Amino acid sequence: MLLFDIALPGLVLGGMYALIALGLTLQYGVARIMNLSYGESLVAAAFGALSLYTGLGLSPLMALLLAVPCAVLINWLLYRFLLERLMRRGKDRGAQEIDSILVTFGVLFVIQGIMLIAFGGQYYSYSYLSIPVVVLGTTLAVNRLVALLFAAAIGIAVYLALTRTRVGTAVRAVAVDANAARLVGIDVAAMSGLTFAFGGGLVAIGGVLISMFLTFNASMGVIFTMKALVVVIMGGVGNVLGALVAGLMLGVVETAVARLVDPGLTLAATYALFLGVLLIKPTGLFGRAAS
Amino acid sequence: MLEISALSHFYGKHQALAEIALDIASGEIVAILGANGAGKSTLLKMIAGLIKPAPGLTLRFEGADIAELPAHLIVERGIALVPEGRGIFGELTVAENLQLGAYPARARASEADRLAKVLALFPRLTERMTQAVRTMSGGEQQMVAIGRALMSNPTLLLLDEPSLGLSPLLSREVFRALKQIRESGVSVLLVEQNARASLDIADRVYLIESGRNAGSGSAGEMKNNPDIQRAYLGKARAPSSPSQP
Ligand SMILES: Nc1ncnc2c1ncn2[C@@H]1O[C@H](COP(=O)(O)OP(=O)(O)O)[C@@H](O)[C@H]1O
Ligand SMILES: [Mg+2]
Repeated sequence: MLLFDIALPGLVLGGMYALIALGLTLQYGVARIMNLSYGESLVAAAFGALSLYTGLGLSPLMALLLAVPCAVLINWLLYRFLLERLMRRGKDRGAQEIDSILVTFGVLFVIQGIMLIAFGGQYYSYSYLSIPVVVLGTTLAVNRLVALLFAAAIGIAVYLALTRTRVGTAVRAVAVDANAARLVGIDVAAMSGLTFAFGGGLVAIGGVLISMFLTFNASMGVIFTMKALVVVIMGGVGNVLGALVAGLMLGVVETAVARLVDPGLTLAATYALFLGVLLIKPTGLFGRAAS
Repeated sequence: MLEISALSHFYGKHQALAEIALDIASGEIVAILGANGAGKSTLLKMIAGLIKPAPGLTLRFEGADIAELPAHLIVERGIALVPEGRGIFGELTVAENLQLGAYPARARASEADRLAKVLALFPRLTERMTQAVRTMSGGEQQMVAIGRALMSNPTLLLLDEPSLGLSPLLSREVFRALKQIRESGVSVLLVEQNARASLDIADRVYLIESGRNAGSGSAGEMKNNPDIQRAYLGKARAPSSPSQP
């Protein structure tokens, strides 16, 4: 059935968008880092999963157990020893933002360069759980279904953690007003570092899951950064629910356009949706009122 | 409980505070009066650790030097600031704001107890717990701000112009709350434009002019001081003084 032919793959794609946008919105909204190397981290995780699978025969789901802690640690070190210093040096929000953009732009080329040396420019994919199953009349590979389930479970868990726990509330408090957060005893620098690292963990999960069904190469990170940014801005910067909803929306709309109109128009559809949302609500779907 | 001396601060080249001295004894309400731009907010921010003081000063709280402590550790010592403009989390609910108030380790054990006390102090927050703070009136937001500060289990409460922009009725409610807070054993350092109401509840008063100490005394003395009456209480000038625009 056409509806499910669009809805299910759309949700799979949207789930991936939502998951990676979640990490970016946390990094940007809480730690105030506009991370331009975000997509490269995702591709690096994808290559990590590929190598573990082809080299050691380790399933991508096992690779998560390795890739995620590594990504969290690397991102934490990056924040603690590089970005935090910049944040302290920047006079105001604007200066900090420009500094973080410049530095992560540099990080982008470092990660991409390493991947190009190790893997060259060609496309890679591997076959894991690419068994077709019929769900609601639509044929879907099991790996996509697995990715969707992971994305859904993680998205819901992160949402609940951020809204229902004390630490989660503290994380949101830093996003709303960092100075006020210090006044209630939150160590904003430490919390920012942990949130940045956590965002790095989420993008690593995204990379591993996507590698199961997508063909990728060393220089396509920018596409993911761009898509994640579009979703973050569309959902409202720093807003978790916004990232989840906007991600799913984008996935379904792109799939619908590819299926019903022309696959070449998905990027146009992305930006039409993006502009449409921003024209109606300039701060994003769930964005706070402009101050 | 709080001793300050030789506290100065520069914003770039502009000196906002020059050699300020001030102390607060346990259980006191101390008011700071001064014109706009006198440096009152800067002083409170430095006590709360939001602005790092230059070396050479004395900033002691309950006997310990707190000059080097960052803001989040000063809260742990028992100093809570209700900043100018309230500094509440507008996107979050009343309940979340109050829960965040109890984030410091010193406040965790007594959280439920303190919440009950805050709601007894500001009963109208009780039915607003799930409302986003930014959608509330100025007076209610100020109650959330004070309530959040009290949730951190402070022994010294700093307030920066808590009655600013409030109706006379709500201002009175805020000042009434401050008296009750002091009765519960919390010392209060209050910066206010509303000199009359501050003099009514304060034990002692400091005057700050252009970043300098410009006098201090008991609230009773200050109320009867003609200079104070002229400058802060809006009393008519003596007939002999030359009229100025
Ligand atoms: N962030 C800042 N940068 C530069 N100058 C400032 C800053 N904050 C305050 N000032 C200046 O310092 C002086 C004292 O300000 P403030 O402490 O806010 O005074 P008050 O609270 O008594 O009105 C004023 O002249 C003000 O213009
Ligand atoms: Mg002020």
